[in-house]
Amino acid sequence: MTQKHIGILNCSAPFSKPNAKDALDVALIMGSYEQSIALFFQGDGVWQLINNQSPQQVNAKAFLDTFSAFKFYDIEHIYVCEASLKERNLTDNFHIDNYCLLDQDEFSDKLHQLDVVYKF
Amino acid sequence: MANTLALIVTTPAYSNLSVTALNIAQSAIENGVELIGVFFYQQGVLNAAKYLSIPSDEYQIADEWQNLHEQHNIPLHLCITAAEKNALSDDKDIIETSNINDCFTVSGLGELVELTASAERVIQL
Repeated sequence: MTQKHIGILNCSAPFSKPNAKDALDVALIMGSYEQSIALFFQGDGVWQLINNQSPQQVNAKAFLDTFSAFKFYDIEHIYVCEASLKERNLTDNFHIDNYCLLDQDEFSDKLHQLDVVYKF
Repeated sequence: MANTLALIVTTPAYSNLSVTALNIAQSAIENGVELIGVFFYQQGVLNAAKYLSIPSDEYQIADEWQNLHEQHNIPLHLCITAAEKNALSDDKDIIETSNINDCFTVSGLGELVELTASAERVIQL
């Protein structure tokens, strides 16, 4: 079976909907089955990457901490839409390393190279 | 792998996107595309609720999932973790009689990996 290139496009803020956690669960299972997986963060999805959040204040589980385990799951391709950060007056003060900030054309190109995209 | 399809349903039974998923499934079969499975994730698991009751003048989605499974042998995989978060269970310790429709197979996210790797095309709704 040829290895497919799978992407997960994260478009939701971390705590307003269950999407971010559901996407993380898919990413980790794909990683543990040794699938070729890339993560994309766009729109409100970029909020998932911002450092020093306090999920306990809204009684949410600190699942963003699990992002630090990506390297153990061989999740090494992480792409962030720079325009989405700018629109929200955010900088890349992230709680992860090893990500690529891409402009919209580059972000689109990367998505188009995939065989499957899941959007959450 | 050639000409195969996997469908991922993430919306509840009363969402028209779930109906669209069924329409795609039926069109695929009519047009010779091999539907290798449907995976229900997030609120999509609510399609498997045994006591689903949609007004009689609306599209009877539960009947259609059952037809798809029984007439065409399409596996309907339910993410059990998502199901339990939505009050669906077949665990005897939690519920006396399963409240999951019999035509659904209790699975996990590993099945999503299998379907994603095996199907030529994947459609998520």
